[in-house]
Amino acid sequence: MNHAGKILLTRGIVKLAKQPSAPLMGFAMSLFFLVVYNAGIGGVGNMDVFGSGGYLSFIFPITIISLSMGSSAGAGQTLNTDIQSGYFKRLFLSPVPRWMLVVSPMVADTLSSVLFTGILLGIGAIFGLTFQFGLLSVLGILFLSTLWSVTLCGFSAGIMLRTGQHQSAAIVTNAVFPLLFLSTTFLPRELITSKWLLTVSWGNPITYILEANRYLLAGTSSRMFLYISVVILLFTSFLSITFALNSARKIKF
Amino acid sequence: MDVEIQIKDLRKKYPNGTEALRGIHLEIGKGQLFALLGPNGAGKTTLVKILTTLIRKDSGDFSIGGIGPDKSFPLIQKYIGVVSQENELDPGETVFLLLQFQGELFGLSRTQSRNRADELIDLFQLETERNKKAGTLSGGNKRRLHCALALVHKPQVLFLDEPTVGMDPLARHTFWEIITRLNRTDQVTTLLTTQYLDEADKHATQMAMIIDGEIRFSGEVAEFKNMVHPDMSYSLEDNYLTYIKSLTHQE
Repeated sequence: MNHAGKILLTRGIVKLAKQPSAPLMGFAMSLFFLVVYNAGIGGVGNMDVFGSGGYLSFIFPITIISLSMGSSAGAGQTLNTDIQSGYFKRLFLSPVPRWMLVVSPMVADTLSSVLFTGILLGIGAIFGLTFQFGLLSVLGILFLSTLWSVTLCGFSAGIMLRTGQHQSAAIVTNAVFPLLFLSTTFLPRELITSKWLLTVSWGNPITYILEANRYLLAGTSSRMFLYISVVILLFTSFLSITFALNSARKIKF
Repeated sequence: MDVEIQIKDLRKKYPNGTEALRGIHLEIGKGQLFALLGPNGAGKTTLVKILTTLIRKDSGDFSIGGIGPDKSFPLIQKYIGVVSQENELDPGETVFLLLQFQGELFGLSRTQSRNRADELIDLFQLETERNKKAGTLSGGNKRRLHCALALVHKPQVLFLDEPTVGMDPLARHTFWEIITRLNRTDQVTTLLTTQYLDEADKHATQMAMIIDGEIRFSGEVAEFKNMVHPDMSYSLEDNYLTYIKSLTHQE
């Protein structure tokens, strides 16, 4: 990363640290999911279908997904504040690659999300979370979390750049939220009785991300889910970055 | 005359069909303080936006300091400084840190940026505001900071788009003192667009009149005055009004 990229990224991180409400809300929401679901229905984890990791390993991936959902608005907020104050124009007139102005707050947002994912993994480990492949599992989960964060940050930033309203970040969360319930979020496929839900879950990208994380945590899913989810997330990350950059081009000065 | 800004047959049409620039030809010499005048909607802002790389031209060409837009936007951006109508400040940052960050964005080292920030704080008399957040400054001080930010990297060409809007008389005086010093001492070429014609009259030596996206006059301010009212006793504003009214009558 060049000099301009570094200072823009540093600015993005400082901005996020000064306005930590988005990542902190995401973290709090995830922790809430983890504690409540594990306490409420953790007992079903004794069933064989959950494997040795129990219900904690099964439910944990949803906390990672919800973490990024809660904190993905940070980049969009930074961009939106800069546009509203006119400062984005000044940045736009600086001799730095213009894509960097959009990507740097997204990178800051993603770094924050990955940091909190790491903290969540640490808390999970204290509660007895297993890591099927040790450090490789941790790195794999952080990698998936990075791509998922980039996906959400990009779409969130793009929508904010197009609408000029920071409230519109909720569009991304609202769009993803129903997908959580149309997937294998709370129960494995073997225990889902509704055929339509099973069918829908196969077409839902969240299913593949959840199962990939479960493979890495407890080995309860097929490795194929990991491969498919990486392909899906690389594709959605590319789409979201493209969307954000195209949205930045539409800003009128 | 060494040409600093050269514009050839520059055209711009907006998606709504408005033809903002209809083949602009203009040459501005190095070290000139050049006023670009014209009524609202004449194309001044569009021209400045294209020259400062904010928007793209449709056709034609331009160069600033010999650098064309097709060569590299960043090279042009390093060469120019822009003071626009609105304050472009990050309200959450302090005066000093904003200036330092601006220096670093333009490639200065941290030490160079800090030294330059101190120089500009001194120059624009912002000492007591040094550690205050930009969002908390008075209107006049925001304007001073806005101007100071445009000068951090010591540009060779300055674009001043309604630069003194919102400034009190003292701030305006200080601002023009700094700009004329840069212009005369450091030969910084300055392109001014303003509705305060007394400022253009006082400080500019060359001017162009743009109307309906076309340059109708380009030359010395004195030449324009002489063309409209040969007895030379009228101000630029009087001459400007007479000129615009005569065009309206003709049409």
